[in-house]
Amino acid sequence: MPEVEVPAEKWTGKVHEVTLGGSNGRKSVVVGGETALPFLHFEGAMPNKPLIAIEVQDRNPTDWSPHLISAWGDVLADTGAWAKKAVEYGADIIALRLRSAHPEEADTGADEARKSTDKVLSAVDIPVIILGPGVAEKDNKVLVAASEVAKGQRIALGNCEEKNHRTIAASCIADGHVAIAKTPIEINLAKQLNILLCDVGLSPDSILMDPTTGALGYGIEYCYSVMERLRLAALGGDKMAAMPMFCTAGEESWRQKESKVTEGVPPSWGDHLERSLSWEGITAVMLLNAGANIVVLRHPATVTLVKATIDKLMAT
Amino acid sequence: MSRFIATSAIRGAHGVVTKAEEMLKSALDKHGEEASVAFVDKEGVGSTFFLPVIYGYLGHKIEKLGDMAWPLEHARSLLPPVPGDNLWLPYLGELADAGVATLFAEEIIKGIEFVEGKQPEVRNGFTFNGPISDVQTRSWGIQMVDGSMPGFAAVIGAAKSNAVAVKIVRELQSKGQLVFLSGSNNGRSIVDQLLEEGVDLGYHTFTVPFGTDTEATVYAAGYASRAAFSFGNVEPGNFREILLYNKFRCFAFALCLGPMDDLKWATGAGAITYGFPAILDTVAPNILPTGITKYEHVVSMPFDDIPGKDDMERAERLIQRCIEVRGIKIKIPSVPIPVAYGPAFEGEIVRRADLRAEFGGKGGICFEWLSMKDPDEIEDGKFTVVGPDIDSFEAGTKIPLAIVVEVAGRKMQKDFEPVLERQIHHFTNGAEGIQHVGQRDITWIRFSKGAVEKGFTLKHLGDILHTNYHNDFGAIVDKIQVTIYTEQAKVEELIKQARDVYRERDIRMAGMTDESVDTYYSCTLCQSFAPNHVCIINPERTGLCGAYSWLDCRAAYEIKPTGPNQPVPKGKCLDPVKGVWEGVNSFVYEHSQRSVERFTVYSLMDAPMTTCGCCECNMVVIPEANGVMIVSRDDYSMTPCGMTFTTLMGTIGGGQQTPGMMGHSKRYVLSNKFIPVEGGIKRLVWLSKNVKEEFAEELKEVCERAGVPDLIDKMADGTIAITVDELLPFLEEKGHPALTMESLL
Repeated sequence: MPEVEVPAEKWTGKVHEVTLGGSNGRKSVVVGGETALPFLHFEGAMPNKPLIAIEVQDRNPTDWSPHLISAWGDVLADTGAWAKKAVEYGADIIALRLRSAHPEEADTGADEARKSTDKVLSAVDIPVIILGPGVAEKDNKVLVAASEVAKGQRIALGNCEEKNHRTIAASCIADGHVAIAKTPIEINLAKQLNILLCDVGLSPDSILMDPTTGALGYGIEYCYSVMERLRLAALGGDKMAAMPMFCTAGEESWRQKESKVTEGVPPSWGDHLERSLSWEGITAVMLLNAGANIVVLRHPATVTLVKATIDKLMAT
Repeated sequence: MSRFIATSAIRGAHGVVTKAEEMLKSALDKHGEEASVAFVDKEGVGSTFFLPVIYGYLGHKIEKLGDMAWPLEHARSLLPPVPGDNLWLPYLGELADAGVATLFAEEIIKGIEFVEGKQPEVRNGFTFNGPISDVQTRSWGIQMVDGSMPGFAAVIGAAKSNAVAVKIVRELQSKGQLVFLSGSNNGRSIVDQLLEEGVDLGYHTFTVPFGTDTEATVYAAGYASRAAFSFGNVEPGNFREILLYNKFRCFAFALCLGPMDDLKWATGAGAITYGFPAILDTVAPNILPTGITKYEHVVSMPFDDIPGKDDMERAERLIQRCIEVRGIKIKIPSVPIPVAYGPAFEGEIVRRADLRAEFGGKGGICFEWLSMKDPDEIEDGKFTVVGPDIDSFEAGTKIPLAIVVEVAGRKMQKDFEPVLERQIHHFTNGAEGIQHVGQRDITWIRFSKGAVEKGFTLKHLGDILHTNYHNDFGAIVDKIQVTIYTEQAKVEELIKQARDVYRERDIRMAGMTDESVDTYYSCTLCQSFAPNHVCIINPERTGLCGAYSWLDCRAAYEIKPTGPNQPVPKGKCLDPVKGVWEGVNSFVYEHSQRSVERFTVYSLMDAPMTTCGCCECNMVVIPEANGVMIVSRDDYSMTPCGMTFTTLMGTIGGGQQTPGMMGHSKRYVLSNKFIPVEGGIKRLVWLSKNVKEEFAEELKEVCERAGVPDLIDKMADGTIAITVDELLPFLEEKGHPALTMESLL
C-alpha cells in the first residue's frame, strides 16, 4: 500500500474554554478549547473531552417514560438523592430543571427555586447547571434566585434568551456564573445573542450556546448543520461564534413518539426499551459529532453508552 | 465652559475638603486611628465595598479612621486653584478634578459621622436611609442591567411646593427611575415636603431619602460605583472603567431643585465625572456641548418659565427634559387599545358586511405622512383628532383621513422618514378588526364593526403608532406625536403638502448614486440557510430579495448595531468599471466564511454577487442572442434558457458565484447601474411579462434613457418565446440592439 497523506485543514480559530465549578469545594470541569472539528485529532487539538450532564428535576416526573422511572426508582421523589445517584451513574455535571416553576405546572417561585438549588448544591460536589422552566419571565424570577444561592460556585444558568438576556447576564456577572445562551436554530441569532451578552459585560468565557436541539428524526439534520456552521465559523476565527455548545439531547429524544408509544407500532420497531435508549444515544452522539461540548441525558444506560463512545472518539 | 460654574464648584471643593480635614483631625484626636469605619443603612445592613467612591477611584479600603488620611491628601492635591477675576481658563478637566475631590471629602465626612453615631441622619423623628446596602444594590442592579429600571435620579434640594415635589417623584417613578433624595434649601428639604404629603419613602417604593445635607448625595455616587463593581465586572481602582460603565449603562442624572450654592456645584461636578448630567430648575448657565456626559452636562430650566398651564404640567415637562438630556429610552409594555393586538391579525381582511368605517380606497381620500421635527417642537405621546371622530359618520361611509406623524430623536435623520413611515402599515395591521393596505396617498384603511363596538376610535391609531415606534425604533426615535384629521377641506390641503414631500423624497432617492456614498451595507440575514452568502447593498441596487434598500439597511444598523446589516466601507477602488473595492472584497471574504474572494458590483460575467435563495428574479446569459434574460419568481413558465425559475434556483442559490447568472430584485432592472459592464438594459432580450406590466411606466423611462425608446417592445417574454429557436427570429424581426452589440462571451 502506498503512503497516503491525509489532507489536514488548517484552522486559525479556537473554541473558548469555559470552566464550571472550581470553588467552595466544588470540583471543576473545563469544556471547549478545540482547534479543529470534533474528534478530528489529526487536524488540531481537542484538549477537553465533551461532558455528560444528567438531568434531575425539582419534582417527581411521574409523566416520564416507565423505563426512566424504573431505572431511577425512588430517588425521583427527592431531588438531592436523585442528584447523588446521578453522580454514581457517571454524571460529569448535574443539570437541575426547575420544572415546577412552569406557569402550567406548579408555578412555583423564587423561594422554591432557592431550596431546590440548595438541595442539589449540598448533595453533590460536581458542577451544576440550573435550567429554568423555559418561559423567559419565569426564568428570570427563578434563575436570579438560584444564582444568588449559588454565588461564587460558578454554575451555569439557562435559558438565557434574547428576551431576558440582560437579567440573566446581570445575575451571572454579579454572582460569577455562566449563561447558557439559547437561540432558535439560527446562526445569526446565536451569534447576535453572544454579542449582546458581551455588550452587557459578560465575558466570552462565561457563555455556553444552546443552539436548540431536535431529536433523531425530528429535524436533527438541521440542528446538526447549524451547529456545524457555528463551529466552522468559530474555527475560522469568529470569536462571537466560538462558545462551547450545550444540547438537551435526553429531553428531546424522550418526548418523541418512538420513545413514548408502545402500542400499535410496527413489529419492526423492536423492543421499546432498546429503541428508547438507542434514540437518546444516537441523538446524543450525533450532536457530539456536530460539536456539542455538553449533552444532557436522562437514562443511566445511555450515559454509559455515550461515555464509552466519547472515550473511543477521544482515543487518538 | 461656564466660568461661573467652574469658579463656584472649585470654591465649593476647597471648602468641603477643608471641612473634611478639620473633621478628620478632631475625630482622630477623639477616637484614634483604629476606630472602625463602615457604611450601613438604617436597618444596619452594610456593604463589602468600604467607602465605595474612594474604593472605586483609588482601590483604597477605608476600614478605620486612620485609612482616611491618604485619600484626603489626594483630594487636596487634586484641587485646582480658584480662578481669579482675570483668569478665563477654567476647563472641564479642572472642574472634574474639583468634583472628584469633593466626592472624596464628602464620603470621608459621612464616614466620620458614622464613627460619631450621626449617620443615618435622624430629623424630626424620621430616620433617613443612609447609604444603600449591598443586598439592595444587587436587587436593583439586576433591574438596571435588564433595563426595567433605566437608572436613578438624584434629587437635591426642595421643590417649589409640596405638590410639585410629589408630582416630580411620581413622574420619575412612572419612567421607572429610582429616586434618591438629599440636600435642602434654607433648611427645607424635598424629604420634608414628601413626608408632609404622606408619601411613603423607602426601598419598597423606590424612593430613598439619604439625608438633608448636600454631602449625603455622595451615597448616590457610591451606589453607582458598586453597580459597576457588581455588574460591570470592574475591579475597584479601575476608575476609568467604573466611570465609563456608569456613563453608558447607568442612566442616572442629578435634578437640582432650588438655588445652587458652591457645594452643590462642586457635588454636581463630581456627578459629571460619572457621566451624570445635572438639570436645574433655577436660572444658571448651561454647559451644553457633549464631553464627559453623553449629551449636555448642565441644563438650566427655570421652573416658572417652563411652558405649561400649571405647575403640574411644568413638573411633567421638567422630568421629560431630564429623560431627554440623559438619553433614557422608554419602553411601553403593551399597546393600550381596546382590541387585541399582535402579528396574528396582520393579514386580516375586513369585508363589506363587517365594515363600520372606511378611509381611502376607490373614491376616498386617505394618506399618511411622517416627518422629523426638533425635539422642542413636539410633545411625546400627544394624540389629537382634528375633526369629527368615527361615531359622527354613518356606518360604511368613506371618511377622509390624514395620519400625520411627527417624530424627534437625537439619532433621527431625515432619510429615515420613509423607512419609518412604511411601518405604519405593519403597525396598524396588528390590531384586531383593522385592515390597512397601501402607503403614502394610496392608503386604504377599514375598521370593522366589532372593533368599533369594543371601543376602538381614531385616537387609538395614535396609541398603536406611539407604542410601536418607541419599542421597535427607540434607538432613533425619542418622541412621537400623532395628529389625525378627518375634515375634508383640511385633508385635501394637507395631502398637497404631503405629495410635495413624497416627490422630494423620490427625487432625492433617484439622485442617490453609488458614487455619492463611501459606505455600502451588508445583509447576512439569510446566512441561516445560505451560510456563505453576503448581500452587498449599494444605493443603486437593493437587496436581491427586494426588501432592503440601502437606506433601510442604514436605518436597520442604527436600530440594531449588532444585527445583520453592517456598514461596509468601500475602501480603495480597484476597478471603477467593474465596481471592485478593497473594503467590499475583504468584507465579503470574511463574512462568506472565506469562500468568496472577489466580488464585482457591476458585472454579471465576472465575479457577480452570490444569491441566498430569496431573489425576486434570476438573470441568465443567452449566448445565442448575445443578451440576457430575466425571469421573476412569480413567472412559472419555461424560459429560453431551458429552465424555469425554480430549476434555475438550484444553480444560482446557496451562496455560489456563477458567472453569467445572478439573482436580483425586480427593481434592479430600473437601476442606472443595471449590469453596466455588459451594456445595461440594452442587453435584455427576454423579461417576465409580470415585471414588464408591473413597471411599465418606469421601464419606458429607462428605455428612453438608454436611447432606445421602443426597447420594451423588442424584448420577448413567455407569451412570445420559451425557446431560443422562438426567441432569435423575434429579436431579428424587431431589430433588438443586443444582436449587434459587442460579444458577451
